[in-house]
Amino acid sequence: MRIATDIGGTFTDLVAMDEKGDMRTLKGDTTPPDFERGVIRVIEKSGLNPQSFTAFIHGTTTIINALTERKGAKTGLITTKGFRDVLEIARCNRPDLFNLVFAKPKPFIPRYLRFEVEERMSHEGEVIAPLNRDDVARAVEAMKKEGVQAVAICFINAYANEIHETQTADYVKALWPEVFVTASCQVTREWREYERTSTVALNGYVGPVASGYADRLERRLDQLGVKAGKFFMQSNGGATPLSGAKSTPINLVESGPVAGVFGAATLGKAIGEGQMISLDVGGTTAKCSLIDGGEVKITTGYRIERTERSAGYPIMAPVVDIVEIGNGGGSIAWMDDTGSLRVGPRSAGAAPGPVAYGRGGTEPTTTDACLVAGRLSSANFDEAVDIAAVENALLERVGKPLDADAKQAAVNVIRVAEANMYNALKLISVRRGYDPREFTLVAFGGGGPMHASALARDLGIRKIIVPVAAAVFSAWGMLMTDIRHDYIQTKINPLAETPSQEFGQMWDGLAAGAAADFVLHGIAEGAVTRHYYADMRYNGQEHTVKVQTPAPPWDEAVKADIEKRFHETHERYYTYRLEGTPVEIVNLHLVVYGRMEKPAFNKLAPQQAPVAEALVERRQVYFTWDGWMETPVYSRKALLAGAKLTGPAVVEEKDAATLVGPGQSLTVDDYGNLIIETEVKPS
Amino acid sequence: MSKMDSVTLDIVKDSLIAIGDEVFYAFAQTSMSPIIYETLDYACGIADAKGQLLTQGNGACGFIGIISPMIEEIIKKFGGGGMRPGDVFIINDPYMGGGTHLSDIGMVMPVFYEGELIAFVGNKAHWSDIGGMAAGSFTTNSTEVFQEGLRFPGVKLVEGGELNATLADMIAANVRFPVASNGDMWGQIASLRTGFNRLAELCGKYGKDVLLQSMARLMDQGEMAARARLAEMPAGVYEAEQYMDDDGHGNAVKIQVKVTIAKDRFTADFTGSSPQVASPINSGYSSLCAGVKVAYMSIVNPGLSVNDGIFRVMDVIAGEGLVLNCDAPAPTSCYFESMIYACDAIWKALAPVFPEYLGAGHMLSVCAVVLTGLHHKSGQPFLIVEPTGGGWGASRGKDGEVGQFCVGDGETYNVPVEMAESRYGIRIDEYSLHTDGAGAGEFRGGSGAVRSYRALTDGQMYSASFGRNKFPAWGTAGGRDGSYNYFEFLRADGTKEGPMGITAQTVLNKNDVVRMVTCTGGGYGEPGKRDPQKVAEDVKNGYITAAQAEEDYGVTVK
Repeated sequence: MRIATDIGGTFTDLVAMDEKGDMRTLKGDTTPPDFERGVIRVIEKSGLNPQSFTAFIHGTTTIINALTERKGAKTGLITTKGFRDVLEIARCNRPDLFNLVFAKPKPFIPRYLRFEVEERMSHEGEVIAPLNRDDVARAVEAMKKEGVQAVAICFINAYANEIHETQTADYVKALWPEVFVTASCQVTREWREYERTSTVALNGYVGPVASGYADRLERRLDQLGVKAGKFFMQSNGGATPLSGAKSTPINLVESGPVAGVFGAATLGKAIGEGQMISLDVGGTTAKCSLIDGGEVKITTGYRIERTERSAGYPIMAPVVDIVEIGNGGGSIAWMDDTGSLRVGPRSAGAAPGPVAYGRGGTEPTTTDACLVAGRLSSANFDEAVDIAAVENALLERVGKPLDADAKQAAVNVIRVAEANMYNALKLISVRRGYDPREFTLVAFGGGGPMHASALARDLGIRKIIVPVAAAVFSAWGMLMTDIRHDYIQTKINPLAETPSQEFGQMWDGLAAGAAADFVLHGIAEGAVTRHYYADMRYNGQEHTVKVQTPAPPWDEAVKADIEKRFHETHERYYTYRLEGTPVEIVNLHLVVYGRMEKPAFNKLAPQQAPVAEALVERRQVYFTWDGWMETPVYSRKALLAGAKLTGPAVVEEKDAATLVGPGQSLTVDDYGNLIIETEVKPS
Repeated sequence: MSKMDSVTLDIVKDSLIAIGDEVFYAFAQTSMSPIIYETLDYACGIADAKGQLLTQGNGACGFIGIISPMIEEIIKKFGGGGMRPGDVFIINDPYMGGGTHLSDIGMVMPVFYEGELIAFVGNKAHWSDIGGMAAGSFTTNSTEVFQEGLRFPGVKLVEGGELNATLADMIAANVRFPVASNGDMWGQIASLRTGFNRLAELCGKYGKDVLLQSMARLMDQGEMAARARLAEMPAGVYEAEQYMDDDGHGNAVKIQVKVTIAKDRFTADFTGSSPQVASPINSGYSSLCAGVKVAYMSIVNPGLSVNDGIFRVMDVIAGEGLVLNCDAPAPTSCYFESMIYACDAIWKALAPVFPEYLGAGHMLSVCAVVLTGLHHKSGQPFLIVEPTGGGWGASRGKDGEVGQFCVGDGETYNVPVEMAESRYGIRIDEYSLHTDGAGAGEFRGGSGAVRSYRALTDGQMYSASFGRNKFPAWGTAGGRDGSYNYFEFLRADGTKEGPMGITAQTVLNKNDVVRMVTCTGGGYGEPGKRDPQKVAEDVKNGYITAAQAEEDYGVTVK
């Protein structure tokens, strides 16, 4: 039996699947600050036999929490002479253009813990000044005195030659075995010194926290009798063994959210869908991502705490490309000072939560609006709902300023929330050169299935999938994951002029690093697959586009093919190509997968009873495009394979509700996914 | 219209803003010029059929509100039926609406829906070179506009979708990096076309009338928000006088402002400022307005999304022929110096009135650098055109920020050391904070930066304009002044030239170093009031020395 646990802000989700494909899902409470307690508790609550586990896969918010709550280790930096302030100067940018008292993000390592050593590489990796080991020793002494717990190392141009970094790391470990040490080359070999320094600094900052957490969790799992291999979900959509999580925890920063995207890709492969947009609406945010040809998209331009007003902190680790907006079930509706209705980004969170939770919340949220709009049933909340309080909050905060009653207020909150999601979905598709009409929308999280119907119609999307285990789909995605590691090397090479052998040597270098890691993780060569990408641009440009390439060795024909793919990709993204302009490769990017055994999906029994037997009630429900309608509400549990119904309808399950609009039809597929086909909207 | 319908209008309005963002980011991704893709020295905007700005994305703060005057010029010239779908106009005249310097190329595209003109999209981007006497088209010693490059007085670059090949050939023949300029030209055109298509889609989805009503609502809301804020402000007349370092001939240049805040009007009057000068620090009227708008936005509400409604209650007065409202043929390639001084003058006048929005003086100058030469490995020519970061002033409750670009920049990125060393024929010896300990105060001014370039080939040419090299960043509310911007040359033979603030085409040979140093911002509040614990931390972090702790703050740190 494979088991996945996913720690979220409010709940810790569990999904398990046995060899026959039988699935078990469960939600428990998240238990900060000892998150492992919640994990153990939900496993115990499930009643599953820990000895029967064959793999344990885990997604955690521990890393991102340590960062956002500033609860990491005291970290010191060793860097090249002349550059200790790179981390503080950052990129000099000011997103909050007109705020003349803006506050720049404070570095995670203060100036007195940043130490310079004599050494220097050229951009081509030649040693210009040798490493001065005495400087390193002096830095170590000073850091010991200050009680530093983690050491980060980043040298200028180390992306081109990492020898000084590894020598320094080895020396620090020899002088000071108990300290947590990372060099930038262990995390990334891309250029841009500020981003790389920030990444390694943050890795150091969370290192001791992550190791401590991983150790405690491992110990508790061992005590439970879990013998299975233990893996952590990474931000790149793949898993890593425990050892990887301890050495480069920064790769886990978006651990949970990407699993849902990866789950959508996996589901797509099983049911023959390659072009998908995922929409995951949780408590505080809505996240969307695009899957092209069955592949999730990866970026290294990720930043934490980046907003429209703040530059945030870069993390140059491969992260699934996600557009995230502050619009979830708990997002608060409010009137701005120009009299416009807004929803989010502020969230009522889990405490006090929406007014409907009855935990003291007074500000109306999207969840409250959906309740009043009939999309949710008060019967599905954990506690009895004071519907009058919910309506009153909507009336006071939104209705009165708009001359509307509570119901109309609710409707408008939903319209604004969905408009925000619509813009986010366009960002991930249209802005990246994709036509959403060619995609299937996969909707999950507590809120995704409730808004997908209207959004699909907005975008001209014809098909929606609400997967099994929609409310815990991220954990489901983890169950389906493989081990994945990304190896990226910056070296600018003109494609046409660079001999194929040179590319071959670079690929060999990357493959050697990968092989060493996989041996370390104990993965058999037979289970390994490799994918090859190049980040490319026209000579003179800065930004690159990622192009999948054939496996090495390359020859002239392969290079011509790669160039052709680049022109096509560039045109798709940016509407034009520059046929005569020379093309450069900036990064080679090797992705290595270690395949894990996974169960086959189990099929549902066929629907035999009339669908009407699944009817729970009829009630008035608001549909964005069609207004209020008397709507039958069905229980998802009672719908089996092949069940069909037509909109308007609502399909309810424990933690989610799926809307089927008029003109849309729903079919339950063999695996229990809800497939909604929607009419093409009249233009 | 009922209030209920207003939600629909708001949804369309937000879509308009999202289109503005899309058009903005698409351009940076494809640009061929570091000044565009790293420095984001460009702006994109959408305006209504009258040319009133609806939304603008800008990387550089100083481009605020610069798009719509440019569109108005095109309407003036071609409005009587001279525009058709697919047209794109090119404009960069410094003395016309939207004018800055010749390097900033403006493009305007009218948007038609079912044959009717409904809107405009426009953008403006700093090309790395537009011809003229010096590489980078950015000079510190020009005396007339004719030395600064090609001048486009609003002409058709694309006609009904077809590129005007004659004009494109003329451009290519007159600029130093025709491949990059061609790439940027297409990037700008593509971004306008994206805006055109998105607006047409929005029309298709909601109908033209809803779109037009949304546009009106957007601007009315902007005006409403500005009026509400003005009504709360303390009415009065606030004045300040500032001096720019140099008119190119060693004389200081006066910038004088009288700001009048009335219940329903904000007026900035620059009467009394110096006449235009024979060096390229003059601003056209549009540039001056941009400088004023930055200061105005900061006190009205820095979080508002920019549109022309917000500026309906703002006036800018400056007589023709002033350094802040120059006439042809005054050179303008360093116009941003006077534009930012104008902003700074208002800032200084209003800092005591709005301590929650305005702190002490900052590094002020773009500290713009142009370096040309040959790459040490490839032998190919390279061109650096970039700003330099420096210290910002402290404000009530907060120390000044370190190593930031000046107010005229914004979502502007420095060029990474590793990228610079790969692309240019230089090695960077140092990129660190300039911890001179100036700007003492209860809240301390932020440190400037030091950036040193070592030439790796002979015959490189360095030009730079580092304003605020004679008059320091000012302190406020009892805080001390900060320091000065400067650069110096450390020659391979051990000799030193400088410090200085302005130079044109100084030659650097192999292993000569130019060391660029930017100022620390002004302090806020009496230094004696600073928490001694913080003073001790400042010493530990090396922002100030133990001697400065003793002398400026009266704190003894062991």
